Amino acid sequence: MTLRRFWILVDELARMSLRADASRFYFGYIWWILEPLLYVGVFYFVFEFLLESRRADFLAFLMCGKLTFVWFSKSVVQASRSIVASKGLISKIDLPKALFPLASVQEGFYRQLSVFALLMVFLVVNGYPMQDGWLWMLPVMLVNYLMIVGASLAGACLVCLVFDFSLLISLAMIFLLFTSGIFWDVRALPDPVMAEWVVVLNPLAFIIDAYRQVLMLGQVPDLLHLFVLGLVSAGWCALMLLIMRRSSQFLALRAITA
Amino acid sequence: METAQENRPDDSGTAPQEALTPVMLELIDVSHSYHARRSNFEHGVHRVLDKVSFKLHRGQTLGVIGGNGAGKTTLLRLMAGILAPSSGEIRRAPGARCSLLTLGLGFQPQLTGRDNARLSALLQGASRQEATDCLEAIKEFSELGPSFDEPVKTYSQGMRARLGFSTALQTRVDVLLIDEVLSVGDRSFRQKAAKAMSERIRGEQTVVLVSHSEGQIAEVCDRAVWIDGGSLRCFGDTKEVLAAYQG
Repeated sequence: MTLRRFWILVDELARMSLRADASRFYFGYIWWILEPLLYVGVFYFVFEFLLESRRADFLAFLMCGKLTFVWFSKSVVQASRSIVASKGLISKIDLPKALFPLASVQEGFYRQLSVFALLMVFLVVNGYPMQDGWLWMLPVMLVNYLMIVGASLAGACLVCLVFDFSLLISLAMIFLLFTSGIFWDVRALPDPVMAEWVVVLNPLAFIIDAYRQVLMLGQVPDLLHLFVLGLVSAGWCALMLLIMRRSSQFLALRAITA
Repeated sequence: METAQENRPDDSGTAPQEALTPVMLELIDVSHSYHARRSNFEHGVHRVLDKVSFKLHRGQTLGVIGGNGAGKTTLLRLMAGILAPSSGEIRRAPGARCSLLTLGLGFQPQLTGRDNARLSALLQGASRQEATDCLEAIKEFSELGPSFDEPVKTYSQGMRARLGFSTALQTRVDVLLIDEVLSVGDRSFRQKAAKAMSERIRGEQTVVLVSHSEGQIAEVCDRAVWIDGGSLRCFGDTKEVLAAYQG
């Protein structure tokens, strides 16, 4: 299968899934915006009203963190189950197994574009100037996308091998939710060495901080860190694609007999 | 007629005129087994096929018969390249595309009939334009009407069968592997489907057909293979294999 054909299939599967999803819910496409906003709403209620956050810009700060985190977590959780969920198709035709997690990630990406648009409108309305520096969003989003693809491919293989991994992946997302600086600021940690380690060990914490640097402060993110992270993610994706290609029929057997 | 013992790849017992057409698919000592989970922490080896060998020439229609759980569907999946044999070898003619047609199984239930038909065409190698072009033919043949644009999960068994068969009819592959396609749907549609499939099979198409209907196998297949408990019991001329199966 050529790369072009493969990409057409990824894109078609993603679009079909979006259409099917929209027709399933009463509010249809509105949920694309509504669901992430409700997530933010819940967090805002807890941290602003119950715990009384001292940040004046807490809502913008929270939205930058939460909306980008939800992109990662929802995509990875959904993509991880995608091979097993497509066993009907897999038992019928020999297809590259990476197709299913990638289509799932692409579906999340299309949704996320509208979420980013919403986030930018919110920031402008709240007095954050729209500036050229916001273009740094593009490389940050690209690296974030590669991280999602890498995690999704690995997750999809693991869940296909042993379904129990789907529970562990959900648990891992809760762990990341608390350790990625979504409702707290990595830069405000009392120990600077600890702050350094958090962004090195948890790429998601770095990415979320990079979004804030770009969108809220109009600053250039740490480009070397971003570049290395992008390179490692791309290498990981290539490795996973190779493994999945080699073990395509084995994954099919696992999915069919699961 | 050959027995399992005599059935070696070099001695496929084909009639002289068949030997002239190239071999599309050849199975050599193909076995298939996998580890199946019984309960927590407990696994057992599930043996599905055991040293099965036969050849399929271009233009032939091969019928596969055998009881439930004999390994017929697994045999088709191996031929389609969906699964890899645990041991043995499957040789395909260079560039030959094999596709497995089953009813209902391949559908994504949340998608509409139209999207499923389109997806099916795309997955089998059609371009976006070709996939769009064949949709009206599928809609017309399936007689689904407005339901064509509703999710497949709302379909009855018969409607799924109609969509599955109509989509299958559009497939253009070198070896068509058919799993029980004609055995569902209401009477009038079944007759229409049988007629359309017979026309297709009588052409140049190479076909492997799994069916519980011995009448159907006798009617459309020129070769047959009987699989029993994962082993090849008999392979050769349809009449002789059916006689052995019924005897």
